[in-house]
Amino acid sequence: MEKSLFRYIWTHSKRDQLIVCAVVLASQPFYFASLDLPRQIVNQAIQGEAFREGQALAPFLKLDLHMPNWLGGHTFHVFDGFEVGRIGLLLGLSCLFLFFVVINGAFKYWINVAKGVLGERMLRRMRFDLFSMVLRFTPEALRTVKSSETATIIKDEVEPVGGFIGDAFITPIFLGTQALTAIFFIIIQNLWLGLMAIGVVGVQFTVIPYLRRELLRLGKQRQLASRELAGRIGEVLDGIEAVHVHNAYGWEKAEIGHRLFRLFDLRVKIYNRKFVVKFLNNFLSQLTPFFFYVVGGYFAIRGTLDIGQLVAVIGAYRELPPPLKELIDWDQQRLDVQVKYDQVTEHFAEERLLPFVSAREEEEQDKPLVGPLKVEELRISDAHGGLILDNASFEIELPAKVAIISNGGGAASTLARILARRMNGFSGQVRIGERDLLQLPLAVAGDRLAYAGIDPILFPGSIRDNLIYGLRHKPLGSPGSPDSREEMRRIVEAERTGNPVDSIADQWIDYEKAGAKDAEDLDHILVTLLNRLGMGGEIYLFGLTGWIVPEDEPELAERIVEARHRLRETFQAEGMAGLIDPFDPESYNEQTTIAENLLFGVPKTDEFKGRNLAYNPDFRDAIDRAGLTDDLVHMGLQIAETMTEIFQGLPPGHSLFEQFSFIGAEELAEFEMILRRHARSDVALSKEDRAKLLSLPLAYIEPRHRLGLLDNHLRLLLVHARRLVREMLQMADADGVEFYDPEKICAAAPLRDNLLFGRISYRVANAQARVAEAVSAVVRNMELLEDIERIGLDHQVGTAGRLLTPQERACVNLARCVVKRPDILILDGALSPFDEARSQKMVEVLFGLCEGRSLLVVLPNDRQADPFDVLIRFRDGQIVLEEPRGPAQRARRPAPESSQPIAGEVA
Amino acid sequence: MTLEAEVQSLRQVPMFRDIDPARLKLLAFTSERVQFAGGQRFFSQGDAADAAYVILDGRAQVLLDTPHGEIRVAELGENALVGEMGILSDTPRSATIMAAIPTTALRIDKRVFLELLAQFPQMALAVMRELAKRLEQTNAQLVAQSAS
Repeated sequence: MEKSLFRYIWTHSKRDQLIVCAVVLASQPFYFASLDLPRQIVNQAIQGEAFREGQALAPFLKLDLHMPNWLGGHTFHVFDGFEVGRIGLLLGLSCLFLFFVVINGAFKYWINVAKGVLGERMLRRMRFDLFSMVLRFTPEALRTVKSSETATIIKDEVEPVGGFIGDAFITPIFLGTQALTAIFFIIIQNLWLGLMAIGVVGVQFTVIPYLRRELLRLGKQRQLASRELAGRIGEVLDGIEAVHVHNAYGWEKAEIGHRLFRLFDLRVKIYNRKFVVKFLNNFLSQLTPFFFYVVGGYFAIRGTLDIGQLVAVIGAYRELPPPLKELIDWDQQRLDVQVKYDQVTEHFAEERLLPFVSAREEEEQDKPLVGPLKVEELRISDAHGGLILDNASFEIELPAKVAIISNGGGAASTLARILARRMNGFSGQVRIGERDLLQLPLAVAGDRLAYAGIDPILFPGSIRDNLIYGLRHKPLGSPGSPDSREEMRRIVEAERTGNPVDSIADQWIDYEKAGAKDAEDLDHILVTLLNRLGMGGEIYLFGLTGWIVPEDEPELAERIVEARHRLRETFQAEGMAGLIDPFDPESYNEQTTIAENLLFGVPKTDEFKGRNLAYNPDFRDAIDRAGLTDDLVHMGLQIAETMTEIFQGLPPGHSLFEQFSFIGAEELAEFEMILRRHARSDVALSKEDRAKLLSLPLAYIEPRHRLGLLDNHLRLLLVHARRLVREMLQMADADGVEFYDPEKICAAAPLRDNLLFGRISYRVANAQARVAEAVSAVVRNMELLEDIERIGLDHQVGTAGRLLTPQERACVNLARCVVKRPDILILDGALSPFDEARSQKMVEVLFGLCEGRSLLVVLPNDRQADPFDVLIRFRDGQIVLEEPRGPAQRARRPAPESSQPIAGEVA
Repeated sequence: MTLEAEVQSLRQVPMFRDIDPARLKLLAFTSERVQFAGGQRFFSQGDAADAAYVILDGRAQVLLDTPHGEIRVAELGENALVGEMGILSDTPRSATIMAAIPTTALRIDKRVFLELLAQFPQMALAVMRELAKRLEQTNAQLVAQSAS
C-alpha cells in the first residue's frame, strides 16, 4: 500500500473526487443566489425600492452581467425580465427563493450521498487490500501477529479513514477558495490590513499544527493502546480455560483495568491539549479584528484610511474565520487519519508479507511436484541457537513413501515443516526437480502440497464444508443468471473497489480434482474416505442426529418412512415392542413430555419451545377448551411442592439442579412464594402464577419423574386436547410446530426420531443399546447407511471444531488433505490423537489413498516404518537415508527409542 | 409405583435408614427405575462400577467367576442394595448380578450419589456408619474363624 494516505486516495478515487468537486463548484452560484434573495425580497418588493420612482411595474428576472471596473465596467443585458407589479414581484421573488432552496437541497443531497459512497467505496477497497495482505503474512510474521488486533485494524481503525476520504480533497478546495476570496477582498480594500490578516493566519497555520504534533503523538499511543486492548481481550478469551483453571480472574481483571486507565489517561491528556489548541485558535482569530480596530481605527482617525473601507474590511473579515476554522479542523482530521493510516500500514509492512505472484506466473508453474527432491546444506537452529540441522543434505526420487524418524528432538518436525513450506528462516536449498520449493507461488503450493500438523484447523461450518475446503480454489461456473441486475451491480461495484468479482454463490467446488462427477459423487467419495479412516461410526451417529430436507430429497424421505415401518415390524417380530413407545395420534405417549404429547409435533420456533409454550395464547386457548388448564396447574403445584421440598439445601448452581430439577435454583424462592399464596386458600392464584405453574408439567414424563401425577382419565384428556391444539395452531396460522404424521417425514425432528417414530422406554434396562442395534440392522438392510452418513456430513463442527473430539478433528483434517489428491502429503503429528494400533492402520490406509503420489510421515520411532520406501534419520545434525529393515531383522535388535510412547509423537 | 413407594423401599435399606425423608426423596428422584428381564444382567464381574442398585421388586442372583465357571453365591430379594461398594471404592465389579425373574430396580448413578454424599454430611455419616458396622461384623467373623 502507498505510504501516503493522500496518494492512496488520489490513485484510487481521482475521477470521483473531481466529479464531486465540480458539482460542489457548480452549486456555489445557486448558494449565493439563495443568500442574496432575502435581501432583494425585503428591499425591492416589501420596502418597494424597485418602485421608488413611482412606476407601477418593475422588471422581474432581469439578468445583467456586470464586468468589474478593472475589466472596463461594461454591462451586458442578458434578459430584460418580465414587467410585474409589487405583489407580483413579491410572489415571484419568494417563489424564486423557494426554487433555490430546493435546488440547494438537491445539490446538498447529491453531494452528501456522493461523498458518502466515495468514502465507503474507498473503505471497502482499503479493507479488502488489508485482508489480502493478511493472507500474505509470512509464517514468521504470523507468530507475532495477534488475530484480534488485526481484526480491529481492519474493522475499526480504518473506519474514520473512510469517513475522511469523502472530504479529503473537496473540503480544502472549497473552504480554501472561500478563505482566499475573503483575504483577496481585504487586500483590495487595504493592503496593510490585508497583510496583517495574512500574518495572523500564517501564525495560526504554523503554531497550531506545531502544537498539534504532541496531540498526534498521543493519538498514536492511544490507537496502539486500544488495539492492544482488543488483542488482550482476544487472548484472554482464547485462553479462558487457563484463566479458569488457575483462578487468574483477579490478575486478568487488574490487567485490563490497568489498560483502561492508560486509555483514560491518554484521552484526558488529549482533551487537555486539544482544548488548549482550540482556545488558542479562537483567540488568534479574534486577534485580527482587534488589530483592525486598533490599527485601522488609528489610521481612520488620522485620516489616512477611509472609514467606509475599514467597515468593508471588517465585514469581509467576518466571513473569514468560519472557513478558516473548518480548514484547520480539516487539517487536524487529516493528520489524525494520516497517523491512523501510518499505523495500519506499519502493521502490514512489506517485510512481513510474502511476495505477490501474478496469476499468469502461477499457471506457468503449476506442474506436478515430482522428480528428485534435493535438499542441500540445510542449516537451521532452534530458539536457543543450538543447531538442529547442520549442513544436512539428501536426495530422494519422488513420488516416494518416506518415513521421517524422529530422534526425540525437533529435527523431524522441523524438516517436515520446511518441506511443507511452513517454515522460513533456514539456510540451504530445497528443490524438486528444477524448481526451488520456496519460490513456488502460494497457489501452486497450496494446490499440490498438503500438510497435516498436530493442530487440525477447522472452520465453523459442517464437516462437509471443512472436507472440501481444499477444493475451492476458484469459481468454475455460475449457477445463477449472471445478467440479473443485482448481480451486475455487485460486479460493477467490485471492479470499482478492487474487490474480487467472484461470487461465493458460484460453483467453486472442483469436483474433478477430487475425482468426482458431481455433488452426489463427491459425497460418496467423502463418506467412503471417512469410513476408511475409521470415522464411519461417528459419521453415522452424526447422521442420525441430523436433519433431512424432504423437499430436496423426496426419494430418501420415502425410504426413511419405509424404514420406519420396517423397524416397527422388526420390533414386533423380535419381542422388542416394549422397548419403544411409538408416536400414535390416538394414544398417549408415556415416554415423552406432556408438551410433546399435546403438540404431537416438534416446535420450530422458540415461541413453542420449553416453557414459552405456557405463554402462547393459542396454545393456552386450546387447553382451556380441552378443560385441561386446572389439571395442569394442579400438577404444577404438586411438582413445585416436591421440587421445593427435595432440592432445598442444595447450593444454587449445583449440577444436580441443572440435571434434574424442574425449577432452577434462582426460581426456588419464587415458587415457594406461589405455594404459600396458594396455601392461604382465600386468595385465588393470579394469572401470572397460573402460567408459571402451568409451565412446569409441560416437561413432565411419568416413567422418568415418577411423581404419580398422571392417571388414565388425564391421559385421555391430553390426547383429546392434542387435536384441539393442532386446530388452534393451524387456525392461527402459526408456523411454529411441525406435526407428526406416521406416513411422512417430520423435517424438524432429527433423523433418529424419524426412524424410530417413538421414544425409547426409560424403564427397560439397556433399551438404548438394543434399539440402536436394531436400527443399525434395518439401516444396513435397506442400504440407507450411506445416505445417513451423507446427512452426517452436515454435522456442524463448531468454532475451531470444538464440537468434535480430537480424533474426529484429526480424521477430518486428514480427509481434507487427502481428498484434494496432493502430489505430496506431509503428516507431522496428525496421527498423534490415535493409539498405536489405530495410527498404524491409518498409515496403511493412507498408503492406499496416496497411490502413485508422495507421502511423508513423521514417525516417533521405526516400529511402523516397514512399509515405507525410505527412512530419513537424524544423526548429529546430519540427515541419513536408510532402507527400511524387515520386521524379522528388527526383532533381533530392539529399537533404541522403543520405550517412547506413541502418544508422544514428537512432532 | 411412584416416588413415594421408592422412598419406602430405600428406607428399608440399612444404609439409608437414618436419612431425612426429603433427602431420600432426592436420592430416589435423581435415580432411574429400570426393569430387567429374567436372566438379564445388572452388570458383570470386572465391569467398571458406574451405579448402585436397590431391588424394588423381584430377585437377583450374585454370581462369581471361578476357574470352574460361574457359581451362584447368594440371592438378593426386595430392598437389597447392591453394587454400592464398587462405586465407593472405585474398583471394578467384584461379582456379576443377574435378575432371577423379571426384576425392577432403582439405579443410583455413581456421580449423583457421590455428589449427594459430598453435599449432605448426614448422608455421608449414615454410609460411614453402615460401612463401619460391616467392618466390625467382618472382624468378629475373623475372630470367630481364627478361634475355631
